[in-house]
Amino acid sequence: MLVDGEDMEDYEVKRVVKDRYGRVAREAGSCCSSSCCGTAEPREIGKKIGYSKEDLASAPEGANLGLGCGNPTAIASIREGETVLDLGSGAGFDCFLASERVGPAGKVIGVDMTGEMIARAEANASRGGYKNVEFRLGEIESLPVEEGSVDLIVSNCVINLVPDKKAAFKDAYRVLRPGGRMIVSDIVLKGILPKFIRESVEAYVGCVSGAAEKEEYLGSIRSAGFEDVRVMEESAFSLDCVTCGPADLKILDGLEISEEELKGVERAIVSITVRAVKPVTV
Amino acid sequence: MKRDLMEILACPVCKGDLDLAVFEEKDEEILTGKLCCRGCGESYPIEDGIPNMLPPELREEMAR
Repeated sequence: MLVDGEDMEDYEVKRVVKDRYGRVAREAGSCCSSSCCGTAEPREIGKKIGYSKEDLASAPEGANLGLGCGNPTAIASIREGETVLDLGSGAGFDCFLASERVGPAGKVIGVDMTGEMIARAEANASRGGYKNVEFRLGEIESLPVEEGSVDLIVSNCVINLVPDKKAAFKDAYRVLRPGGRMIVSDIVLKGILPKFIRESVEAYVGCVSGAAEKEEYLGSIRSAGFEDVRVMEESAFSLDCVTCGPADLKILDGLEISEEELKGVERAIVSITVRAVKPVTV
Repeated sequence: MKRDLMEILACPVCKGDLDLAVFEEKDEEILTGKLCCRGCGESYPIEDGIPNMLPPELREEMAR
């Protein structure tokens, strides 16, 4: 991958991502936390994304860092007793919502590669008294999960940060039981981003330059073996959500790009929710 | 980490089954311990109740 004009190895990309989100985990709650959705209040972002007021109120304070593009559709589809796996669980917001829905007979597992995030999520879990939620450090491309053990995989604005998306979907497919489903929301591209954004590390960790082209993204889900791959929602992703706070706005200012070019960037970035199923008989 | 989670844990490298060694446990919560893979022999630490299931090379990379 070409980042900041240099060819970055996958693990270097991971390191940047981990450092950045580790910082977010540490700083969250203060006014200077920057996120993939800018600097707005997490609950406000949550509402815009489509979570219900009840959902936003039910999770422990600090579990919603306002980092996601939102996956209320996945949460709504959860049935009692299911085992749910959240890829890139962050501070645990979606896991806690899922926990209430699966009930005592169900299980929720959150995987994240950032230690600080996992620690925060654990703290939130004990504060909220969640008994059926577990967090573990892990890599999305090589999940520490038994084959065929999960009913539903959810993920919220994370896979765009994974350098090898094909590997991520392949492993997601492996851990799902036959008939299990995956509902992910993510940032994808329609069209090509200007070079300066494609090559910016900041834009990468802000979810944009690591994003795949939409058809390519859907293609890697299909090639992993998933069937019935459907885009359930698609919406524009505003540029406020693209830039990672004041520093990035300055980067954009410094480049003196025209209003028209900015609009082009905005049009190229969309947020989608995709549902896919692992066939019952392979 | 709780014991009943063991059922769906697997080695991230070879996807083999894991054996659990508990060093410290409190209220059914394993605080410190180790997970060892029966397949490839790799082991994964449990610290502060959190299993570190990052593949070994990434774990080292991230620790730097």
